[in-house]
Amino acid sequence: MTDPSEPTTARSFEDLLGDCVHCGFCLPTCPTHVLWGQEMDSPRGRIHLMAQTHDDVLTEAAVGHFDNCLGCLACVTACPSGVAYDALIEHTRIRVEEEHDRPLPERALRGAIFALFPHRRRLRLLRGPLRAYQASGASSLVRRSGLLERVSPALATMERVAPPLSARPPALPERVPAVGRVRARVGMPLGCVQDAFFPEVNTATARVLAMEGCDVVIPRDQGCCGSLSGHAGRGAEAAGFAKALIACFERADVERIVVNSAGCGSGMRHTDRVLAEAGEDESWVRRGRAFAAKVVDLSEFLVELGPVAERHPIPLHAVYHDACHLSHGQGVTRQPRALLAAIPELRVSDLPDAEICCGSAGVYNLLKPEPARELGDRKAADAASTGADLLVSGNPGCSLQIASALDRAGTPMAVTHTARLLDASLRGLPVERLLRP
Amino acid sequence: MTETAHPIPAAVAALVPRLRRICGGDGVLTDASRRRVYESDGLTRHRAVPGVVVLPTTAEQVTAVVRLCAETGVPFVPRGAGTGLSAGALPHPEGVLLSTSRMRRIIEVDPDNECAVVEPGVANLDVSRAAAPYGLYYAPDPSSQQVCSVGGNVAENSGGAHCLKYGFTVDHVRGLDVVTPQGALLRLGGKAPDAPGHDLIGAFVGSEGTLGIATRITVGLTRLPERTVTLLSAFTSMDAGGRAVSAIIAAGVLPSAIEMMDALAIEAAEAAVACDYPAGAACVLIVELDGPAVEVEAELAEVVRLCASAGAFETRTAADADERARIWKGRKSAFAAVGRISPAYIVQDGVVPRTALPEVLRRITELSAESGIRVANVFHAGDGNLHPLVLFDDAEPGAAERAEEVSGAILDLCVEHGGSITGEHGVGVDKACKMPRMYSPDDLETFDLFRRALDPRGIANPDKLLPTPRLCGEVPGVRRGAHPLVESGEAEQF
Amino acid sequence: MTRQGIEDVRAGGPDDAVCGVVPTHVARPRDTETLGRLLAGAAERGWSVAVRGGGTAQDWGGRPRTVDLLVDTGALTWIDHDAGDLVVEVGAGTPVAELTATLAKAGQRLSVDPVRAGGTVGGLLATGVCGPRRLRTGTLRNLVIGMTVVRADGVVARSGGRVVKNVAGYDLAKLHTGGYGTLGVIASAAFRLHPLPPALRVLDAPLPSREAATRALAALRRSTVVPAAVELDRAPGGRSHLHVVLEGTSAGVEARADETVRVLGAALAVEGRGTPGDGGTAMARGEGHGGTEDATSSDRAPENGVRVTDRLPDGWGLLPTEGTLIRLSVPPARSAAAAARAAELGDAVGTDLRTTGSARAGALVVAVPPGASAEVIGLLLEGLRSVPEWSATVLRAEPHVHEAGVDLWGEVPGLAVMRAIKDALDPGHRLAPGRFVTDRPDDLREEP
Repeated sequence: MTDPSEPTTARSFEDLLGDCVHCGFCLPTCPTHVLWGQEMDSPRGRIHLMAQTHDDVLTEAAVGHFDNCLGCLACVTACPSGVAYDALIEHTRIRVEEEHDRPLPERALRGAIFALFPHRRRLRLLRGPLRAYQASGASSLVRRSGLLERVSPALATMERVAPPLSARPPALPERVPAVGRVRARVGMPLGCVQDAFFPEVNTATARVLAMEGCDVVIPRDQGCCGSLSGHAGRGAEAAGFAKALIACFERADVERIVVNSAGCGSGMRHTDRVLAEAGEDESWVRRGRAFAAKVVDLSEFLVELGPVAERHPIPLHAVYHDACHLSHGQGVTRQPRALLAAIPELRVSDLPDAEICCGSAGVYNLLKPEPARELGDRKAADAASTGADLLVSGNPGCSLQIASALDRAGTPMAVTHTARLLDASLRGLPVERLLRP
Repeated sequence: MTETAHPIPAAVAALVPRLRRICGGDGVLTDASRRRVYESDGLTRHRAVPGVVVLPTTAEQVTAVVRLCAETGVPFVPRGAGTGLSAGALPHPEGVLLSTSRMRRIIEVDPDNECAVVEPGVANLDVSRAAAPYGLYYAPDPSSQQVCSVGGNVAENSGGAHCLKYGFTVDHVRGLDVVTPQGALLRLGGKAPDAPGHDLIGAFVGSEGTLGIATRITVGLTRLPERTVTLLSAFTSMDAGGRAVSAIIAAGVLPSAIEMMDALAIEAAEAAVACDYPAGAACVLIVELDGPAVEVEAELAEVVRLCASAGAFETRTAADADERARIWKGRKSAFAAVGRISPAYIVQDGVVPRTALPEVLRRITELSAESGIRVANVFHAGDGNLHPLVLFDDAEPGAAERAEEVSGAILDLCVEHGGSITGEHGVGVDKACKMPRMYSPDDLETFDLFRRALDPRGIANPDKLLPTPRLCGEVPGVRRGAHPLVESGEAEQF
Repeated sequence: MTRQGIEDVRAGGPDDAVCGVVPTHVARPRDTETLGRLLAGAAERGWSVAVRGGGTAQDWGGRPRTVDLLVDTGALTWIDHDAGDLVVEVGAGTPVAELTATLAKAGQRLSVDPVRAGGTVGGLLATGVCGPRRLRTGTLRNLVIGMTVVRADGVVARSGGRVVKNVAGYDLAKLHTGGYGTLGVIASAAFRLHPLPPALRVLDAPLPSREAATRALAALRRSTVVPAAVELDRAPGGRSHLHVVLEGTSAGVEARADETVRVLGAALAVEGRGTPGDGGTAMARGEGHGGTEDATSSDRAPENGVRVTDRLPDGWGLLPTEGTLIRLSVPPARSAAAAARAAELGDAVGTDLRTTGSARAGALVVAVPPGASAEVIGLLLEGLRSVPEWSATVLRAEPHVHEAGVDLWGEVPGLAVMRAIKDALDPGHRLAPGRFVTDRPDDLREEP
C-alpha cells in the first residue's frame, strides 16, 4: 500500500507512476492540452508515456511530448489522487538528458541557454549590447525585418522579452539592517534573471524586508540555485549549483531564506530531491533538506511575520497573476493576495483561467517559442479583459513573458512584482512610479 | 520496437492517407507510443491500442471520417475526454479512434432562449462558466464536470449529484447534430422544443456512441437559484441515515441532492482532505436544497427536523459558497481518496429502488464480511444510485478476483431488488455481458434490431452496450451476423 | 398455425373508426401476454393494426390506410404504485383520471397536464403531447422511466425499468412516446412521480400588445420565481393573457406570487399607464387572505391588471375537441411573435385562431375552428413553416383535410433514420400504416 503523502524521495519512480488512476482531472489545467487537445500533451498522457518507456527505450515521440511540458505543475494542484507529477517529470527529464541524443542545433541552443542563464554576471553583460541595441533605434527596424525570426525564433523571443533598460540601481550591500527592532535574520538569494533584468525588484525586496524588521543578508558570493537546470533535466548541473548555494547560505547563518522569484523558490524547496536524484551522498541530501526547510516565498514570509510598517494608499486597479511555480509549485496563492488586500485603496482582481500557465515557464519560451507565444497571447488577452492598470506577479519570467505579450497585442500594461508594489506602499511613493514601464 | 509491438492493421493502414487528407497531418496519430496513450478511458482495466487515432476539428471532418469507415467497414470508436468509467471509449484494435478533444468551441450562449450551442469536446463545467454572466447554468453535473465533455455526457446520458431534482443529460438536450454510422450528418431539434417525428434525440442520448457521433449540441440552461443551502447530518448508523432519506422523500420535499457516505468512506475522505466531518459518524448525509429563498427556508426547517427525528446527532448547515464547498469536499474527494486507505479498488455503479436501500446495504455488509473484502459506500441516496467501492490489495494473490466477485454480487443484488446494473456510468464493455441479468433475450434482441437500423454494418463502437458472443460467449437472444435488411440489400450503405 | 389471442375478436363498426377508417376487427386483450399473442396472430395474417385507448385521439395523426385489427387497451388497466419510491407502473389502458386519483391519495402525481379529457395513459404516451406545466419537471418523455411494448411480430419487449436512475440499454420508450403506436403497441409504462405541491397560485395577466408579451416573458425569464407553467393564451380577436403557475409551500407561493406580480407589473407598466416598476409593487395582501391556501375563494383585486387565484382555470391545458390543431414549436423567445404571426396568418385567410401553450418553452398549439378548408390549413402551415427554426405539425385534422392530402408534418429532420427504425421494428409496415410521418405517402424528401 502506498501513501502519496510520504516524501517523494522515499518512493520509487514506478511506485509514483502507480498513483495515477487515469481520471483526467489534470487535462483542463494543462496548458499544452488547452492548446492542442491531444492526450500525449496532457499530464495523464505523459504519465502514460513515462510508464510505456519505463522499461523501454525513449522514443523520439515520447521525448517530444516530455519536452512540450512547461512544468507549470497546474496538474499537481488539480490531481485528486496526489500524483507527484513534479517528481515524475523531473526524473524523466534527467533521463532524457542522459539517454536521448538531441539533434545538433537543439543541443547547441540548450548549451547556449545554460551557459548563459544560470550565470548572473554573464546575463548582466548581455545587457550592455541589448541596451545599446535598443538605444540605437535599430530595434524596431530589426524586428520589422524579421531577420531575427529567421535566424532563430528563440533568439527573437529573448530580444522581445527583454524589458526596456533603465539605469541599473546601485548594487545591494551584503547586509541591509532592519529598521527598528530586529524581528528576524533572513538570507536573500538574488536570482539570475531577477538580478540581471529586474534589479529594482531585489532592491525593493530588501527594503521591504528591512522596513518590516528584518536583518537581510545578501551573500556576495552567491550563485545560481540550480532550479532552471533542474527543471530542464540537467540534474548534475543543478546539484552543483545547489551545493554551492547551500554552502553559501550555511555560512550566512540565517533563520529563513526569503525568495522573491517563484521559479527559484519552487526548486529550492526540493533541493534534497535534486541532490538525491543526482546521486549525491546522504550528508548532502541532509544538508539540502535543512536548506530547503528554510526556503520561503517573500509573500508567504511577510504574511507569517505580520506587518509593522505603515501602508500608504495606492489608488490603482491591479490584477494578480499566479506564477505557476508559486501557486502550483509552492501552494502560495492566498498570501500575495492578502498582502495586496492590505494596501489601502488598491483594488485587486483575479485573471480568468488563472490556473493556466502564461507560457514563460523557465526557459520554455526560449526552447518552444511558438506554444509559449500562444499561451502568452491568451494570458495577455485575459489580462487586458480585466481593464486593470497594472499586473502583479511574483516571478520575473512571467513578468517578461506577459509584458511582451501585452505589447504585442497592442494593449500595453505596466507589469510589476509584488515586492515593488509593497515597497511603493511602504514608502508612500507616487503611483506614477509603478506605472512607468 | 514498440512500433513492431503494435503495428497498424492493414485495413486501417490503408485508410491513413485518406484520413490525413481529411484531418490534416497533425490530426492523425499513427505512431505506436502515441496511439498507446489512448488505450483506455477512465476505466483502465480494459485496454486496447487503437489502430489509428484521429483528432478532427469540424463536423465535416467527422462526417468524412465516418463515411470512410462506413465505406470500408472499418469500425470507429468515439472518445470525448476519456473519463468514462465503463470502458465505453475502449478503442478497437482494428479501428479508428475518433477523439472530439479538439472540438471545443462554445458556439453560442443564447440567454433569451435559455440555451447554449456547443461542440462535443467542450467541458461540462465550461458551459456553466460561459452561462454564468447571464445568471444561468447547465444543470447536469457529473462529478468529473470540470473535465468530462458534453459530447461524452450525451453518449452516456450523464447525471450527477443534482440530477435528483434536475434530471439527466437527456432532459437538457434540445438539439443535436449527429453523424450517423452511415456517414449522414443530421440536425435534430434545435432551440425550439418538441422536434417533429420520433424523439431521436431521446434515443440518441445515452446510446454510448453506438448510433453515431454528436458534433454540435444545443443544451437548455437553467436559471441560477435564488438560494442554495447545504446541510450535513451525522448519524451513528446507516439505518438511521436511510430512515432520514425515506422521511425526506415521504414528506414531499425534493432536494436537489441527497448524498450518503458510510464510515469507511468518511475515513478515506478525512485521510485525503481532512474534511472535518462530525467525529464518530457512521453515516453522513449531505442534503442540498435550492430554489426561491422562501421555499428553501421552509424545506430546510423540515429537513433538519426529519434528520433529527431519524436520529441525527449533529447537523450543520452551510449557506455561503465557502461553507458549502467544505461540506462537499469530503464527498467529492471520496473516490480518489479511497486510494489512500487501499492500494486498489473497484468503483461499482448500481441502482436500487430507494425503499430497498436499507436491505441492500445490509446485504452488502454481509457480503463484505463473508468475503473479507472491505466495501466503502458512497452514493446518491435520493435516487438509490449506489457507488460501492470494493477495496483490495492487488499485491495479494486472488484478492482482485474476490473483489470482482463481491462487486458482481452487488450488481446481482441491485437487479434482484428491481434496480439497474448502471445508474450513470453506462454499460460500455465493462457491463455488456451483464445486460442479460437485467433484460430478457427478447428485450436484448429488440435493442439489437434498433441498433442495426442505424448501424447495419456494426461499425459504430462495436462490442459496447450489448452482449456479443466475442465478448461474453454464447448469448441467447442476440442476433448474429448481418442484419436481414443488409443481406437482402434493402439497407443502404455508403 | 396458431390462432391464440385472436379468438376474442369482434367485428368493427363506425364507432371504432380511426380517422374515419372503420376497422375490420376489434380485440380487447386482457393482459400483456394476450396482447402479444394477438399481435403474433395478426402478423401471421398480415393484418394492419391500430390501437385505441380512451378513444379521445382516434382522429389524431395521419389517416391510416387500412385497419384490419383495432386493439382496444381498455382491459389493460392496472396500477402498481411504489409510493416510497415515487414510482408507478401502469397498464396502458388505465384512464389518466384514475391514475391521477390513485396517486393523489398518496400525495403524489404524474407531473403533466393532459391535453384531452378522458384519455388513457397509453394514449397520452402514444400522442406524446402535454400541456403547459412542463417547466420544472419536463414533459412525458422526461418522466417515463420504463416501458413494455409489444412489437409488430408479437414479441413482448421491455426497456428501462422501475428506478428513476438507469442508463442500461437504449431508451426505446422515447421513440414510442409520441410515436402513435407505429413502432409497437404500448402495454405498460413506468413513470417517475413528484410530490403534490401543498399550494398553488395562478397569475393571470392581460397582455395589451405583442411587445408587452415579449417584455413580460423576458422579465419572467430573468426572475428566480421558478414557475411551473408560463402559458400564453391568445384568443380569437386578439385578446391575450399570460397565466403563470407557481407551485410550492403555502408561504412560498404567496411570496413568489407577490414577486411575480411585481415583475409582471413592471414589465407591463412600461407602456400605457404609470411608472414602471415603481416602489410599492408587492401587492398588499387582500383582507381575509391570510395565507390559508385552501381558502375556497381568494381572488385578489387585480394589481397592475394581474389577477391572482389559487386554482387553475377550468379546462386547464385541454385542447379544443373539434377543428384542426397545429403544434407550433419555436425558439422560446419567439413565442409571443409566433402567436402574433399565427393570428396574422389567420386574419389573412379570414379565420379566427386561438394560440395557447407554454410560452417559456416555445411549445404552442394553434387551434383552427371546425370547418376551415384544406386550403386555409395549407396556407397556415406554409406561413408558419416558412420561418427558420419553427416547425408546425398537424396534431388533428378534419376528414376533408386528410382527403385533400395536406402535408401534416412538414420537413422532418432525421426522417430517413426514423424510417430505418420503422423498417427494423415493423418490417411489414402493418402498425397503423399512414398514421405517422414514417409512412407519409407523398413524402419523397430525404436527408442529404
